[in-house]
Amino acid sequence: MIVWLVLLLAVPTAPPITHTVEIRGMEFHPADLTVAVGDTIVWINRDIVPHTATGTRRKWDSGQLQQGDSGRYVPRRAGRAPYTCTLHPTMQGMLIIRKE
Amino acid sequence: MSRSGHRLLPLALTLVFTSALHAQNPAPAPAAAPDLSDPEVAHVAVTANSIDIDAAKFAQTRTRNAAVRQFAATMITDHSAVNAQAAALATKLGVTPADNAISQSLESGAKQARTTLESLHGAAFDRAYLDREVVYHQAVLDAIDKVLVPTTENAELRKLLVDVGPAVATHLEHAKQLRAQLGAPARTGT
Repeated sequence: MIVWLVLLLAVPTAPPITHTVEIRGMEFHPADLTVAVGDTIVWINRDIVPHTATGTRRKWDSGQLQQGDSGRYVPRRAGRAPYTCTLHPTMQGMLIIRKE
Repeated sequence: MSRSGHRLLPLALTLVFTSALHAQNPAPAPAAAPDLSDPEVAHVAVTANSIDIDAAKFAQTRTRNAAVRQFAATMITDHSAVNAQAAALATKLGVTPADNAISQSLESGAKQARTTLESLHGAAFDRAYLDREVVYHQAVLDAIDKVLVPTTENAELRKLLVDVGPAVATHLEHAKQLRAQLGAPARTGT
């Protein structure tokens, strides 16, 4: 038990990070983003028109973000997660989610 | 702003806007931007947005295609958002949008297009509506880049027009993609 605790304390685990994706000029910036499981991704809409950030394979949806609004998502498993704006399907983004 | 070029307006902007609406091939923009006052630019911008909102509202009552309905909903949402910003900016600047020959020409073209669309149903309507959306957004994009932005004096109004450009370009691509999905029979003269 003591050994296990020592090992647990000795192995550094990166704390979750918050990443920001700006939506401006009808694009996601950055369009491709590498994150870790447990990180938070925040989308901020800088455009005049509303947008969404909506997973095309995974079920997350920011809902409509008006200018200045933000939405967030915390991925719980690794993999590639493409997403789009449901209002403007030509807008595409990709999350590359690492295990840690 | 000099008013010397004002008489060029019907000729120049009509080349960009209305010939694109009456015919199916947008005409090239004029080499030199015509002289247009900021209140007139504001009126043209609001009119252009309102026309597309009205077309989309009609499309929602006519189409049975879910993707076309969604596209129309986006047009209403986006162009309403732009008009709200334009109205807020006009209020802030103390500008009263001024009716002009171009706005009137736009409205005239929209009426003709509406008459054509009202005679169509089903897939024929969807194709004609999207054909028109492609032509219209291309014409608006050209007008923003080559006429409205160059002639606008107020920096905030000019920035609003510049900021709107990518949205119009995205609408254009969306309309093209959707139109391609609907398949061949085309262009009924909207």
